[in-house]
Amino acid sequence: MAEGLIVRSLRDGSLPGEHAPALCLEDSLPSPLASHSHAVFRHLLASLLSTGTGTAVVLVAFHRSPSFYLSLLSPTFRNSIRLLDCYSDPLAWKSNHHPPPSSHSPQNITLLTNLNHLPHFLSSILHLAKDLGAQGHDRVTVAIDSVTHMLRHAPLPSVLQLLTNLRCHEKISSLFWLIHTDLHEPKVISSFEYISTMIASLQPIVQLPDYANANISASITSLEENYSNAKFNVRLKRRNGRVKLLCEELLIEQGSVKFSSVPSVSSVVAQNLIPKVQFNIQLSDKERMDRANVVLPFEHQGNGQNIEIYDGRRSLSESQKDPSSIKIGGLSEQKRGNNNKSEKGEIHYIRDSDDEQPDSDEDPDDDLDI
Amino acid sequence: MATGGGQQARPTRPSSFSRVSSSSFSPASSSSTSTSLPPGVRIGANGAAFVSSGIPDLDRILGGGFLVRSVVMVMEDADAPHHLLLLRNFMSQGIVHGQSVLFAGPTKEPRSFLGTLPSPVVQKEGLKIKHDVSDVQDKEKGLRIAWQYKKYFGELTAVDSHNRDKKQEYSSDFDLRKPLERQLLNSQNIECISTQDAFDLSKLQNHCLTFVSKLSLKDGINSNAGRIAIQSLCAPQCGYFEKDWDMLSFIRSLRATVQSSNAVAVITFPASVLSNSISKRWQHLADTLLSVRAIPDEDKDLAKLLTGYQDMLGFLHVHKVAQFNSQVPVILDASTYSLKLQKRKSLVLERLNQAPVEGSSGVSYATSGSCSSSKGSLLDF
Repeated sequence: MAEGLIVRSLRDGSLPGEHAPALCLEDSLPSPLASHSHAVFRHLLASLLSTGTGTAVVLVAFHRSPSFYLSLLSPTFRNSIRLLDCYSDPLAWKSNHHPPPSSHSPQNITLLTNLNHLPHFLSSILHLAKDLGAQGHDRVTVAIDSVTHMLRHAPLPSVLQLLTNLRCHEKISSLFWLIHTDLHEPKVISSFEYISTMIASLQPIVQLPDYANANISASITSLEENYSNAKFNVRLKRRNGRVKLLCEELLIEQGSVKFSSVPSVSSVVAQNLIPKVQFNIQLSDKERMDRANVVLPFEHQGNGQNIEIYDGRRSLSESQKDPSSIKIGGLSEQKRGNNNKSEKGEIHYIRDSDDEQPDSDEDPDDDLDI
Repeated sequence: MATGGGQQARPTRPSSFSRVSSSSFSPASSSSTSTSLPPGVRIGANGAAFVSSGIPDLDRILGGGFLVRSVVMVMEDADAPHHLLLLRNFMSQGIVHGQSVLFAGPTKEPRSFLGTLPSPVVQKEGLKIKHDVSDVQDKEKGLRIAWQYKKYFGELTAVDSHNRDKKQEYSSDFDLRKPLERQLLNSQNIECISTQDAFDLSKLQNHCLTFVSKLSLKDGINSNAGRIAIQSLCAPQCGYFEKDWDMLSFIRSLRATVQSSNAVAVITFPASVLSNSISKRWQHLADTLLSVRAIPDEDKDLAKLLTGYQDMLGFLHVHKVAQFNSQVPVILDASTYSLKLQKRKSLVLERLNQAPVEGSSGVSYATSGSCSSSKGSLLDF
């Protein structure tokens, strides 16, 4: 489901007035399977291209040669992809010494040698995007093989500016890139996460303990598990300002990537967020009115008679008329005095001992004469 | 008896010119010194001047609003744009009061941000006045005051209704669905600057200096208050992003500039893109420090824990509140609030309330959470 959401979001592009959605695909060394993050990248590429004729991709290839990518795709899709070749000659060594061959390079590969100059870079990408647009593809996605390679040639703010400009451009409908988190400082990674709308990271299924202290046999079995599976964590920034967190399991079999959903993992995020909450003891207006309307058990006679609130003194005077009810030890219900209670609420008054004076049980203030 | 009564009711004899705060026991000196304050500025506790932040709830929490001559910083969350809500309300409030506004943003066209500013909610005038009159009459009925004290109470209620009018003016409710009127946006005292392509902050610094000097050029005493709003000052796409120390010295100079004039500066910055030590330095430079936090969507645990989870946009946490002329720190009884939209238009801040714990489970999430919250991020609750 996570993968489907990502592909759909990349395919749909942006709403008018918004910047294009951008996916940041991260991997890290603790998960050996993450070295196959490139497979995930290729998988995304393939799913995007296969969804229809409208989508086209401009692929900026740093890590693998363009012919590798072309060989992956079936011929039907070769027209909907344009490659910017930053792999063959990034430092312009060949072109300085030998003039470039009057190229029999295929039509859709463009060689780029001047990687330091980012405005030129940007214009080449846009040129390719316009090309594709002219061919009738209305949605152009830009895929960058790895931003890690870009950062070798240009400083961080300019790379981020390039990505932001791509997001703002009207010809580009979505954008995704791959980054290796171990090769950069944390603030670099968080800057890329800052400008992206979706963040997908590959993490190990089993967190390996410190090798020095760990039991060797235990770690080997867990290592094996890490080689076959990985956790695919996705963080989506939604339009309503909330963050959607998803977690799936990733399996790579024979070069193909499979996603499977994992039984729900309780999000750790909630625990970090718990602030000092209180119970709401204020009453809303409706609750206040309802409270005023409630008739308490001792307030009514049970059958619609007048509300008479039990008054301690009254019961004394009435019970003096029949002293026998008080002097009897044991259960004396004081029916006369308490006849203004309903059948529901009754007070059973059990005397402690017989020789207590009747007055001492009643209202102790009765002997006050005011 | 009469003198005793006189003693009690003495504290307020406000002149009709000064705008005294609604607490009636303000010192007598404040009523005599202020002649007329610039629009939108109010004198609060300890003789400090406040401007409204544009959100009435936030003004109340901070004890009056944003302190004039202070720097307010808002730590952004990379996942959500809630800091823009705070900025928008702040700028709209300034424009509505006719104050000068300087805005700097990391986009190519910062002027387009002005198009998203909300306009104030228009209250019906007749209803408001009727409400005041009937209130006074109710008060007189409910409170059976001895005749010799009535003359003092009469003044108080008059002041209250007068203050209520002023309070409405000081801080307005904004309707986030309606944009601010065009003619207000075209006035001359609104400036916009882009920080995206700048390689250093000297241009922005010069702009701030000229902005502030323009404020004091108008008549010496009654100089208008000014608002400086800087969005995402350390946004990673800005050219000066790697120059940590330059950014810190810019903030220091901005503080000095603001302290010597009638301005308030609000700076938002994404704390996650700075290194820990530099981020701490930024936080220490702030007089008032707030942070916004995104909430996860469709989180069942959080929905069970908090009431009103569906309507919440995010959390606002108050880290530091500025104090002026006082050594007493401000201690809030709750520092985290949830941002909500009331009737989908105006922003309110509410305290977080725990949902009733189910009888069967009986586990209070708060207790289990507080132990693990210590491993949370810098925004430690």
